[in-house]
Amino acid sequence: MKNTIKYLTPVILVIALTGIISGTNQDVRQPISFNHKLHTEEVGLACVDCHSNVEKHSRALIPNIETCGDCHDDAEDENREKAKVGSYVSRNEKIPWIQIHVVPDHAYFSHRRHVTLAKIECQTCHGEVSEMERPFIIPFVELEMSWCINCHEKSKVVNDCNSCHR
Amino acid sequence: MARWGMVIDLNKCTGCAECVTACKVENNVAVVGKDESEMGRTMLWMDILTHYEGEYPNTKVRYLPRPCLQCDNPPCTKVCPVRATYLDPEGIVAQIFPQCIGCRYCMAACPYTVKSFNWYEPHWPQEMAAALNPDVSARPAGVVEKCTFCVHRLQKAKEQADSENRELQDNEYIPACAEDCPTQAISFGDLDSPHSEVSELIRSPRIFTLLEELGTEPKVYYLSEIE
Repeated sequence: MKNTIKYLTPVILVIALTGIISGTNQDVRQPISFNHKLHTEEVGLACVDCHSNVEKHSRALIPNIETCGDCHDDAEDENREKAKVGSYVSRNEKIPWIQIHVVPDHAYFSHRRHVTLAKIECQTCHGEVSEMERPFIIPFVELEMSWCINCHEKSKVVNDCNSCHR
Repeated sequence: MARWGMVIDLNKCTGCAECVTACKVENNVAVVGKDESEMGRTMLWMDILTHYEGEYPNTKVRYLPRPCLQCDNPPCTKVCPVRATYLDPEGIVAQIFPQCIGCRYCMAACPYTVKSFNWYEPHWPQEMAAALNPDVSARPAGVVEKCTFCVHRLQKAKEQADSENRELQDNEYIPACAEDCPTQAISFGDLDSPHSEVSELIRSPRIFTLLEELGTEPKVYYLSEIE
């Protein structure tokens, strides 16, 4: 028995470590080190000011370059990250953000349904974004069906497969 | 709660296959080549069945558009071992693609042969890829698919009605085939609503369903041709 534990322990450790490393998705590099905290606390923006589709459409949308251009246009800014944004704006080029919170295409998820109609806070699924000084590289929660179902059961809302899958 | 149904007037149907095209585009139904078609692997959620009568030159062709008949007593759901297909509360025979294990029991059980199996990974020519409907998933290889009465349209219509704090109205939810039919041969609506077009049409003496004797109780009805 002691021998089994002795040989199994390193194996289990390696498996666990692999899980942790792959789980943190270290390979994701966002194009700009976007600071949500600065934009919400210091600039005073609300989530919907930039993610303008949240309340009216199914997709929240990552803001387009025109939205960034409302405040940023200096490609020579002393702040390296601001200069990067300014550079994209001056070229009118889309910032190649990597989408982190992804719902599979066979599931119908609507932000309007959840935010406007069900009055669910953004933080419920995305975490305390206003405290984040770096952009997302991993999702706040793994968007698996059990996450959806648990909340639907607690909230006593429709749980029929056909109401979400398509 | 609504009970969705369809009435197809064979007297109005010209066999133009606009419903077939509309369905294929709306639901991202895969296109297979000639060789695959000859092996019986054609993917169609809406098909036009043709029936030839008489001998040349005195022939007559009859057309019968055939989507999933959305049976109230569906044989397909009873054989599914993983509940990937089931009768939903509004009478739509749901097909939950990510749940399907591809055993194809449901295909064997369906007396109307409305189901298709995905033999291949979804692939469209580059020109068509940009035209895919983002509201409907592309089914992977190895799963069974069929007409869903365009249930994604119901999901969106319900949300729109809820956001305006009102009930779903007549004709707010209508599948692509019914919407696109140039002769309005296809009517769609709530069979339980006493004033809906479909509930009035199913009282017609011309009404019939396919293979009635099987007791599958389809919710797609037909109005026979007037001779």
